[in-house]
This record gives sequence, C-alpha cells and structure tokens, in this order.
Amino acid sequence: MLIGVRKEQELADHLSQQQAPPQSYWSIVRQQFRKNRMAVWSLRVLYLLGFIALFADFIANEKPIYAKLDGESHFPVFRSYAVGLGLDSWEARFFQNSWHEHDYDYVIWAPIPYSAQTMDRNNRNYVAPGDEQDVPSTRFRHWLGTDQLGRDVAAGMIAGTRTAMLVGIVAMSIAAVIGIFLGALAGYFGDERFSISRIRLALNGLGAFLAYFYGFQARSFALSEGTFGWEIFKSLALIAAIMSLVNLLAVWLKGKGVWSRPITIPLDLGVMRLIEVVNSIPGLLLILSIVAIIEEQSVFYIMAIIGLIGWTGIARFIRAELLRVRNLEYIEAAQALGYSEWRIIARHAIPNALTPVLITIAFGIASAILMEAFLSFLGIGVAAEEVTWGSLLNLARSKFSAWWLAIFPGLAIFVTVTVFNLLGEGLTDALDPRRKQ
Amino acid sequence: MLQYLLKRLLIFLPTLLVISLLAFGLSKMAPGDPVEQRNRDMGGGLQRELRDADRVYRETSEYLGLDKPVFYLSLSSEAYPDTLYRIFKRDERENLVKLIQQYGNWEAISHYYHAIRKADRGTEQLLGKTEAVRSVRPLIKQLYLAYKDERISSLLDKAASQTAGDSTLQATIGISVAQLQETYSQLKTQASPGRLYIPDIKWYGFDNQYHNWITDFLTLDFGESFVDSRPVADKMGDALRWTLTMNLLAIFIAYLLSVPIGVFSAVWKDSTFDRVTTLLLFVLYSLPNFWIATMLVVFFTTPEYGMDWFPSLGLGDLPPEAPFWQRFVEAGTHLVLPVFCLAYGALAFISRQVRGGMLNVIRQDYIRTAWAKGLNAQPVIWKHAFSNALFPIITMFASIFPAVFAGSVVIEVIFNIPGMGKLTVDAIFQRDWPVVYTVLMLAAVLTMSGILVADILYATVDPRVSYGKDKN
Repeated sequence: MLIGVRKEQELADHLSQQQAPPQSYWSIVRQQFRKNRMAVWSLRVLYLLGFIALFADFIANEKPIYAKLDGESHFPVFRSYAVGLGLDSWEARFFQNSWHEHDYDYVIWAPIPYSAQTMDRNNRNYVAPGDEQDVPSTRFRHWLGTDQLGRDVAAGMIAGTRTAMLVGIVAMSIAAVIGIFLGALAGYFGDERFSISRIRLALNGLGAFLAYFYGFQARSFALSEGTFGWEIFKSLALIAAIMSLVNLLAVWLKGKGVWSRPITIPLDLGVMRLIEVVNSIPGLLLILSIVAIIEEQSVFYIMAIIGLIGWTGIARFIRAELLRVRNLEYIEAAQALGYSEWRIIARHAIPNALTPVLITIAFGIASAILMEAFLSFLGIGVAAEEVTWGSLLNLARSKFSAWWLAIFPGLAIFVTVTVFNLLGEGLTDALDPRRKQ
Repeated sequence: MLQYLLKRLLIFLPTLLVISLLAFGLSKMAPGDPVEQRNRDMGGGLQRELRDADRVYRETSEYLGLDKPVFYLSLSSEAYPDTLYRIFKRDERENLVKLIQQYGNWEAISHYYHAIRKADRGTEQLLGKTEAVRSVRPLIKQLYLAYKDERISSLLDKAASQTAGDSTLQATIGISVAQLQETYSQLKTQASPGRLYIPDIKWYGFDNQYHNWITDFLTLDFGESFVDSRPVADKMGDALRWTLTMNLLAIFIAYLLSVPIGVFSAVWKDSTFDRVTTLLLFVLYSLPNFWIATMLVVFFTTPEYGMDWFPSLGLGDLPPEAPFWQRFVEAGTHLVLPVFCLAYGALAFISRQVRGGMLNVIRQDYIRTAWAKGLNAQPVIWKHAFSNALFPIITMFASIFPAVFAGSVVIEVIFNIPGMGKLTVDAIFQRDWPVVYTVLMLAAVLTMSGILVADILYATVDPRVSYGKDKN
C-alpha cells in the first residue's frame, strides 16, 4: 500500500513536470480570441472609436486648443468645460466675434477646426468635399463637405461618434444591471427556493403601497414644480425610509404565531412571465410611442428606454447559467458555511455566469446604436440642434445630390455596428468550450 | 399536449393585460387633448360662443367616450373628489388637480372654479356691448389655467381694477369678480393640505374608459381613428395589403436563396464558396437597412447621378380604374427596391442560421454513418441532415410572424409605402391612439402566438421534445 502511494506520487510529479504552467480561464479565452483576426481588428477599431468619443472636443472644435491673443494665452477648449460647469464665463469679445475671426498672435486649432453646430456662412448650401470652398486656407477645408446650413460634416461625424458610443454603453449598462439582477433571482432561487414569512410579505406589500403613495402621489406637485433632481432624491429617500422601517418591523414581529409561517414565491415563473411580456411588445413601436409623449427631447431618454426593454436577453443567459451553477458543489459548500443567500449570489454564483453575458452585451450595443441612429434619422427623440449620424443621414433625403451626406454617416454606423457584431462573434467563439483545443 | 396548450393560452391573459395597461397608460399620459384635436380636425377651429363651444366639446368627448372615468379605480388622497372626471376639459381638470395638490380642499376649490365659470359667462354676454370687456375677458380665461399663487393674485387684481375702472363692467360683472376674489381668499384660508396625506382608493365601477376599450377590443371592435373617423380595422386592412405583399415576397425570396446557401456552405465548410458567402453575408447582415434604403433612394431613383432606374417613392398614382395589368406593373416597379431592402437582411440572417444549424448536425455520428454506408450526397444532405437542422428555421418563423404584420417601419417610412409600419408611425405622431394601441396589442398577440406556434412545431419536428411533463 505504501508503495502504491509512492507510485502515485511519482506519477503526479511526473505529470506536473510535463504539463504547461496552469492557465487561467481568462488567458485561455484571450488566446482563443487572438486567433480570430477579424475580432482582433475590430477590437482595435473599437479602441479608435472610443478614443474619438472621449476626445471629441479636441478633435473637432471651432475653439482653438491654444491661442495667444494680445499677448495673453488662452486654452479655450479646456475652458469650455469650466464654462459648461458654470465655474467660468467667456469675456464679451469671445461672444461678439466667432472664434475664427480673432486676430491671433499664435494659435493651435483642433484637427477639424469646426464644431458640429458651427455654421460656416461662406460655405452654405451643400458644398461637396471636392468642390471649391470659400475657406481661408486648406487648414479650414471641409474635408467631408457641408450641409445646407454650412455645418461641417466631418465635425458632425465626430460628435456623432460620441453620441453613438454613449448610447450603446449607457443603454446596455442599464440593461445589464436589470438583466443580471432579475436573471440571477430567477436562476438562483428558481420556483421553490425563495420563501419569506407571511408577516414580511404582507408588510412589504403594505410598505410598497405606502412608499408609492407618499413618495410619488402625495408629492406629485413638488415633483413637477420643484427642482427635479432634488425632489426626486427626497422622494427616493422617503421610499427607502418607509421600506426599511417596514422590514425592521417585520423582523421584530417575526416568530409570532401564524404570521411567521413561510410562503414560497415562484420567482422564476414571475421573471419569465415578465420577460415574455417585454419580448412580445414591439420594441421600436413602444420606443416611438414613449418618445412621442415626452415633451423634452433628449438622447438620455432614448438610452433609458432602450435599456429598460433590452435586458431580457441578458436575464435569460444569467438565469440559464445560474440554474446550472446553483447545483454545483462549491455553492453547496458556501451554503454549508452559512453565507447568506445574497452573498452567495453576488460573490460566488454571478461571477461564474458573467462571461456569456459579454456576448449579449456586445450584440446589444450594436443594436442600441442602430436604434438610436434610426430614431435620429426619423428626427425624433434627439434635440433638433444635436448632430448625430442618423440626423446627418436624414439630411441626404432632402438633398439627393449631396452624396457625401448619404455615404459618410451611413458608413460610420455600418463600421460601428460591424465592429460590435464581430466582437460578439469573436467572444462567442473564444468562450465556446468545444473549441478549446 | 392539449393541457400544455391550455396552460400556454391561459398565460396569454396576464401578458395581454399588462400590455393593454401599458398602451392605455401611455395614451393617457400623452400631452394634448384628443377632443380639441378632433374638433380642430373636423373644421371646428372657428371662434364659437362659450356655451356653444362647451356643448360641442361635451358632445365630442361623449362621442369619444372620454367623459367617463379613466379606470376601475384610482389611488389618490382624501383631498380629491371622486367626481373630478366630470370636469370634462382636460387642461382645466389638470389645473384643478394642481390646485388640489397645493391646498387639499376640494369644496373651496370647486367654489372658486364655479366663480371663474360664472365670470367667464358674464364677460361673454358683454362681448360686443362694451369695448372694455376685451381687456378683462382674457384675464378671466387665463385663470382657468393658472395655479401659482402669484399668478392668480395678479390676474385677479388686474381683473378687479379693470372692472372698477369701467362703470358698465362694474354694474354687470362687478359682483362675479368680487366673488372670484372672495372664493380665492377662502380657498387659501381654508387650505387643508393634511388631507393630501391620507390615502384613498376610489372605485368607479365598470363603466370606464379602459373597460369600454378592452371589451370592444376583445369583440374585435377596434374603434375609430381620432384623425379621420374611419374605423381602425378598415385603415389597418388597407395598410396590411401592402405590408403583406411586400413582406411575403421578401421572405419568400430570402428563404428561396438562403436555404441552399446555408446548406451548401455548411456541407463544404471552409471551401472558397463558404468563406466568400460567410463574409458577404456577415457584411450584409451588418449593413443598416435604413442606410442602404437611403442610398438606393438617393442614387437610383433620382436623375442626379445618371442612374434613374427606378420610380420615385410611394406606389405611383394610377387611378383605381386603370387596367389591372398596368396597375400591377406600376406597383411592381415601385416595390422592387423596398422588397430588396427587406430581403437582403432576412437573407443574411436566415442563411447564417441555416448554416449554423447544419454545422451542428453534420458533425454528428449518424451523418458519418450515412456517408459511410455509401448513400448519395442528396439523401444524406437533405433527408438526414437538413430535416434535423430545421430548428433554427422554425424559431425564426416565430420572430418573422409578427414582423410580417407590423411591417417594417424603416422601409415603409423611407420608401413612403402606406403599410402598417407607416400607418403606426403616422398615428403615433398624430396621437391617433386607437390606431396605436390596436397595432401594439395585435402585434403582441401575434408575437406570443408566433412563439407558441414555434413551440408546437418543434414538438412535431423533433419527437424528443415533449411538453406533456413539467420541465424545468
């Protein structure tokens, strides 16, 4: 027997010497991902798009990055952030004359010396990229042409990149938060594992009613007339206070007779029904009808709505993964250690189920960007003065001879959507366990 | 199976309920007053006398069923009366709500409201009799929509001083204006905002707007359009004709091409054909259809670039008495581009799915066995492999089903085709809610039915799938 053990030991040593150093899950995934040339390239394009979105103000801006005027140094682009925050204000001369008209001693312009909204009076009425342009020098050429108002298309494309990336990321973050939360509830607890005492259920129901009533109904005048952010904060604080009071009360009353008996709540059933409801609503029509009744148009509403209806795919993925994970031994071990359910879900179950969600998120960002582009193409949902890829593309419909308005913004949408789709594909392949060899 | 079907159909109900509440709630939150909109659209924009205008308003709102309570019950506070819905003008009602939210005393507010109406009627009778009334009347009218204290006070002060300055006015409406001021000061002194914090659930019974709408809907009576009073069903019938023609054509073409493409590229995986088609299909799949549609419109329907090969937007304008053949050709040429736009996306999507499905099947042992026992390529590919790779095609059926009905908003709007998508978008912009919620509801019903049909087809194609037992 002793000999047997030693032999095993030797064998194990032998094996461990032969094996490559142990690889982490992520390094395998990365290795697989790198094999996919298209995916790697799309990741590079994505970095570029992210860079443009982040530094849009420095790439296309009518204000100079650095200017020396009457012996004084100015950093107008940086300063515009301070002005935007209300910390600073422009001197009168910057108001009266446009940025291009000053007599600078020395000046560094942004690569594209126009903002998206800058109207170049000398190059109005659709000046083509190749046309002769009325500009002081080649430095001020409109490389991608202008629209009817003389706005530079290249600058509009840069501003559009920022909007598109923002929409994709914010919308999918909202969707991911909702999807992961609900999917985890459904998958981990299933239909039978979630039970709370009767008293707690009853009190929470009552609390929800009171919270809604005092948070929104009774305060509706304050909410509609006061400063919105502050009032909504007060409402939310009130709601949180009521709910925690109710739950404290439930803890105190627990263990008193019939009311302490547990009730099982079929969370999985509920979440799946909710997913069904959301999925059977035609998304585009719902977004259109919601946007149509919002009086103040802003791209942030679009992000929120896309996020609020786009979470179902993520929730399904997480649910399916957690249905599998919850029966694994390490979860049982965690339960045996006496960890709370929430801690197990958050710290042990969800991290193991997150990777496939990346795929859904990649595809989701692509469709969110597409959705925003289409909405602004229709001219709804985004403020009229905001320039986006969709709104630029829409201009092509009013002037057929302006081919540059049809091609460039569309190309940008196409490239961005393709990049995210390719990333999704690449991730799908890289995460597929069947292809690990 | 039957039990499963019944269970699934039962699940329809809560889902439909939620969607109907959503659609209905949206229509109630929408700004604008459908009654006024309709009166305006019916050519009633002329200046009417107050009593007359009130009568017309009341009649229209009764006709539209908007004089009923909104829902079965409402959650509000004790400060609200349960007869608020009887104030039939929407903007006046909303203004009264704002007053209630500040002062919480409906009795006093109601007195104040009646005093406004009385003063309003009084000034109306004076119209044409004295010039001075022209300055007072707008002030009274503005009171209907004023809820902030400073604003009301200043309006009242102005009205009082104007009235006092003119003897005829003082003699006729002096009392009403004084009454207005008195009721308003009473309103402020008798304020009881505490009542706003006592929750109160009010029950309105079954004769309410939601109930009437949903029962009509379930008996397939979709109501009338707010805009042109045509029955919604008629409008949808017209639109559906074009949407169905376009979508069925596009789907037919897409399936016709994509099944062989998908199957062959899976069978000869990694061949040149497979690589080229996979790349092409991927590019097609990522091309946003509204971009392609715009490009087609810009380049191929205008003489600007010398490629004016297709007729411009819409469906042509031949009169219905033109010979059938001529109309057919006219519609056909107008449909080429939109059908192309619809088809290429579907083509890319379906082929990718078919290829994926086939790839999964073709690796299986039984296919290898089939090859090994010397079967010809035809039966192996089509009989053994393809019939088992049908699943993705079936699931897609579920997603295509409602799309065929709801139409493609994108394509119909760009090519200006009067189908369901365009009908819905136009209805949303015109706040023609009967059309909007009918489309929303029907699209939801069709989506759910599509999913159900797909599940049943699954069971028919694959005997391993069984819905008899509870699955988890």
